[in-house]
Amino acid sequence: MRLASNAGNFRPVLQTEPAPQLFDSAFLAKLEQLYLVSKKLFRGDHRAERKSRQLGSSLEFADYRNYTAGDDLRSIDWNIYGRLDRLFIKLFEQEQDLHIYFLIDASASMRWASPDPRLSTKLDAALRICASLAYIGLANLDRVNIHWFASALHGDLGLSRGKSQFHKVLEFLRRAPELPGETSLLASIRGFVHRTKRRGLVFLLSDLFDPAGHEEALAFLRHSQFEVHVIQILDPAEIRPTASGDLRLIESETGAAFEVTATDALLRRYHAEIDAFLDGIAAFCLRRGINYARASSAVNFEELVLRVLRDGRLVG
Amino acid sequence: MTFLAPWAAWFAAGLPVIVLLYLLKLKRRPLTVSTLVFWQRVLQESRRRALFQRLRNLLSLLLHLLIFLLILCALAKPTFDHFVATGSSTVIVLDTRARMQALDPDGVSRFEKARLLAARYLRDASTSHQLAILTTGSSPAVSSPFTGDEKALRESLTRVSVSDLAGEIEPAIHLAEQLLASRNGEAQIVVISPSGCKIQNSKFKILPVSVGSPRDNVAITRFATRPLLSDPETSEVLLEIRNFGTSASRGNVELALDGKLLDVKPFDLEPGGRSFETFSALPRSARNARGWLTARLPTPDALALDNVAYAVLSAPQQHRVLLVTRGNFFLEKLLAADRQISFELLEPDAFQLPMAAKFDAVILDDALPPGFDLAQTEGNFLFLKTSPFTTPGEPIQQPLVSDIDAANPVLRLVTLQNVTIVRAAPMQLPGAMPGWKFSAPLRSFEHPLMATGSELTGSHRTAALAFDLADSDLPLRIAFPLLITNTVHWLAGAERATPISLQTGDVVPLAQNQTVWIEPQTEPTAPAKPDAKQLARQFFEPTRDGFYRLDQPGGSSWIAVNTFSEGESDLSAASPASLNAAPVSRQSLANLATRPLWQYLALAALALTTLEWWLFHRRRTE
Repeated sequence: MRLASNAGNFRPVLQTEPAPQLFDSAFLAKLEQLYLVSKKLFRGDHRAERKSRQLGSSLEFADYRNYTAGDDLRSIDWNIYGRLDRLFIKLFEQEQDLHIYFLIDASASMRWASPDPRLSTKLDAALRICASLAYIGLANLDRVNIHWFASALHGDLGLSRGKSQFHKVLEFLRRAPELPGETSLLASIRGFVHRTKRRGLVFLLSDLFDPAGHEEALAFLRHSQFEVHVIQILDPAEIRPTASGDLRLIESETGAAFEVTATDALLRRYHAEIDAFLDGIAAFCLRRGINYARASSAVNFEELVLRVLRDGRLVG
Repeated sequence: MTFLAPWAAWFAAGLPVIVLLYLLKLKRRPLTVSTLVFWQRVLQESRRRALFQRLRNLLSLLLHLLIFLLILCALAKPTFDHFVATGSSTVIVLDTRARMQALDPDGVSRFEKARLLAARYLRDASTSHQLAILTTGSSPAVSSPFTGDEKALRESLTRVSVSDLAGEIEPAIHLAEQLLASRNGEAQIVVISPSGCKIQNSKFKILPVSVGSPRDNVAITRFATRPLLSDPETSEVLLEIRNFGTSASRGNVELALDGKLLDVKPFDLEPGGRSFETFSALPRSARNARGWLTARLPTPDALALDNVAYAVLSAPQQHRVLLVTRGNFFLEKLLAADRQISFELLEPDAFQLPMAAKFDAVILDDALPPGFDLAQTEGNFLFLKTSPFTTPGEPIQQPLVSDIDAANPVLRLVTLQNVTIVRAAPMQLPGAMPGWKFSAPLRSFEHPLMATGSELTGSHRTAALAFDLADSDLPLRIAFPLLITNTVHWLAGAERATPISLQTGDVVPLAQNQTVWIEPQTEPTAPAKPDAKQLARQFFEPTRDGFYRLDQPGGSSWIAVNTFSEGESDLSAASPASLNAAPVSRQSLANLATRPLWQYLALAALALTTLEWWLFHRRRTE
């Protein structure tokens, strides 16, 4: 395995595991509180009663259409027939469960340890955000599925519904795999689209550090009729690195080394480069109707979730 | 191009070290990052210019090598041959004789003023105008060779100090002429001295710079001790005081022995007058005393050096003499009367040649041992009547004393014209005896009456009288004790003893076991024992007044050293310092252009170092 062969300098980074305290009781209490706050904020917009465009057998009238042979006679509106002497079929809207998919980047870059020991990894932040949103979704009786990905789609939770399934979600998140290889958004999303028949919401939690770029992958996802929400998770040290001097940089995903002499001028150029990268993502998402939120591993996840819900209009 | 300090080329060995250090790879701090994408994008431009990157590294190495080479060249002090060949040369002759210690009315010594004047000339030193500094004492010395380095000249001038030596300044000027003879271009000699210069026909331009003003001075010009002939245990002291001033001087002269005041005598001197004082009946010092005599004029004047004089009362010396005779009344009485001689008497039959080495002199009174060979025998001998020089033949009847070599030490003060000799044995000086030199200071026409011989190494001496004392009336003459005493003391090498009084600049050879402390003492306190570098071994040349300790196997003794020079004490000849004689420093652009080349090289190295520092911090070089 490529990562294993580059043992040494970055091995401790990859050994970062979801902490046992990642989803402790305090976290679960916060989730419930978060759910209540979200209900208050977005009253009347419960996804579980979201109407689908398919006509179904619910009690809510949708439309009429002419009777054709073979139609269920029980659907004929006999009152109309009495008044107009024509056969019309009464159509009712079909209520459907909302499918929410979480695509979590589990590549090595997400498990990269921040220079600030007080900060958790980006993956931890992603897991917390995912757990929070999944809890809200489950509580709203939506169907929730979670996928891991790195260089390709890896595995999923399986569709779950109802709050009773939340423990299953947590157990799944606790067992976040250490996926090798470089992040490949396009390959992962292609795999996801091909495996997923039902469309729905997609939460993409990643740092979007894909050497091949993110545009094609996101455009493909949007083109596949998914409502896409991108939550980009970054570490403050990635946005504003402070290390200077003669450095031998080692990439966590590939183990590739790169020698650089970091000066103030070089760091300024780095800042400009990553700012352009982030601005480019935001602009792209805006153009394509993709909800985009940027999260930092330094920000409290509760604020993050609420801000994501509000700013990204994830509910509504 | 000429390198004045070619030894600096050895530093070139450091060049490979710089290259080696450059080849060492920089150890970088490892840092794990989540992605290299942005770093690679940032440095993409630099990577495209990889060739330029390598050139930057090469530039850094070249800069370091260039800085090193510039420093190397600066250390080697290069100079253009053109400047050396066509530049001007100046020799500064700085008077460092004792007279330069004299104080002018403003309280500053002549030497300090002379040094300040010399320093003004040094400002003009450059590659094209090179200077040398000579000092004059008892003999001239080169204090600094020709150089255009003002700093080196100033350091050399700082090291020059005034001495207690007397001497002439002309030898220094002759040396300056010799130094200038091999140089091209304009040449001049600057003589900084109070006494001017007497050389008129030099082919070089001589610029006399007078320093000091005429001063009155009273000096001790002579101070000597000698044992009384009548009582060798007692010495008399002669003291001469001279007034070199233009007004009368009166005062007292103090005499101290081993630091304790012994006597005070007044003197009253007219201008140019001199006064002789004698102090008689001074007992010779005991062996445990120093015997220092110090004469001092307590009244201060312009020159303090000649107000103090030093002398030594030497400890008595004993000569061991062996008299081999069958009985000689006169000789026995004479030897017994001389307190400087301890003699032993021996029958000729009991005498053996090895005994002679234990005595300073052996007198063989008609007792020549058979088969005696002078060249093979240790000892100093005086032969009476029969000697190795005696030749077979008839005795010479009633020889007349015709020739007397009064310069011979054995005949000092001896008058033999009226001596009657009945007969004398015929003698002939050895024709060729390797390593020996013989003479006949006393002759009766062609017949030697007395012969003396000494080994050229000075280790052995011999003398022979051709007649028996009983065959003449010599023992009744006053010449007899003088002749015998002179001869015995000459055989014992009394004059070879190290003198007890010297003048500064005198050179005295030292025996193998003799050492002299080269630091003089003037106070009777116990000095610290000097280390090996402060001991004179083969010869002794004092440059300062005072008492010098002489260590030899028989014990230590003292040597008094004084300047005693009327030329140094006479301060009336000086003329006031002429400041106009000193050049005005010419600091101009032309002068700047001729500054030493090494300064420009050092400046360039400094500029390149600054540039390299700037480039490094701008990351232009790595």
